[in-house]
Amino acid sequence: MKQQEFLETVLPIKDKLFRIAKRLLVSRDEADDAVQEVFLKLWKGKEKIKQYRSAEAFAITMTKNYCLDRLKSKQASNLKIVHSNYEASNNLEKQLEAADGVARVFEIMDTLPEQQKLILHLRDVEQLDFSEIAKMLDLNETAVRVTLSRARKKVRDQLIKQNNYGIK
Amino acid sequence: MELNNIEQLLESYFEGTTSLADEQILRNYFATDLVDDSLKQYSSLFNAMTVSASETSTTTFTVPVTEKKPFNKWWLSIAASIVIVLGVAGFVFSENSLTQEEQKALAALKQSKEAMLLLSNNLQKGTSQLQLVETFSKTKNKFLK
Repeated sequence: MKQQEFLETVLPIKDKLFRIAKRLLVSRDEADDAVQEVFLKLWKGKEKIKQYRSAEAFAITMTKNYCLDRLKSKQASNLKIVHSNYEASNNLEKQLEAADGVARVFEIMDTLPEQQKLILHLRDVEQLDFSEIAKMLDLNETAVRVTLSRARKKVRDQLIKQNNYGIK
Repeated sequence: MELNNIEQLLESYFEGTTSLADEQILRNYFATDLVDDSLKQYSSLFNAMTVSASETSTTTFTVPVTEKKPFNKWWLSIAASIVIVLGVAGFVFSENSLTQEEQKALAALKQSKEAMLLLSNNLQKGTSQLQLVETFSKTKNKFLK
């Protein structure tokens, strides 16, 4: 696989990988590093990419594994990832109106367990099929649905709780 | 979109049973300003997903250039083995054939052998002639006794 061909396969999914990494690692810098690292790994194993039916699914699985490893080693060394980038999502005017509420949703999502966070992200942000998600995470579709439902309900309950707290 | 319909979709959304198309309908609905007051609390949830999906990475990825060409190595190893094979073969064959000096010496040996053989033949002839002389002296002694 030549350089050009590789970049054509991999660059279109760069943002997707970045968003997944950021969802898991929270920090923008960490997410950039993760994407860089995953790309490097993909480049080294570029001959193998062809064997996978979908380069995208392969890359996403790789990103997920890398981020989870990262989190594990962070926890082990007792470091907390510093994050300060909720404002980073940019320039649509609509966003400004809802910015407060949106930021709160992100905060709630960050408190979810990794698996729920990841499935919620893959489904509601990246809009992937249940079958695709199941394959990426090595789960069956029912498990994905159940986890997704749990994650969505948790976010909803938290949101309502916070809203009521503001009112009462 | 009818309010009833949206409420139903919302319910199945939280059960994890909506299709991707259903979820798109929900996102579109909550992106408008026409959200019913009773559902306003959900709009930030769906808008957050839309916002998140528009996030992009700012880093650029460059492919490392330290790529070695595997062809070169392959070619070199073939060349090296050919050289080794030639060297060994040359050594083996050169041992079989004799040098010029050795060939000369062999020729000289052959010549001298022939010369010796000739000499010994002539010597043999000489001794057989001597036998005649011996017979002569025997008969002479008979008479002279």
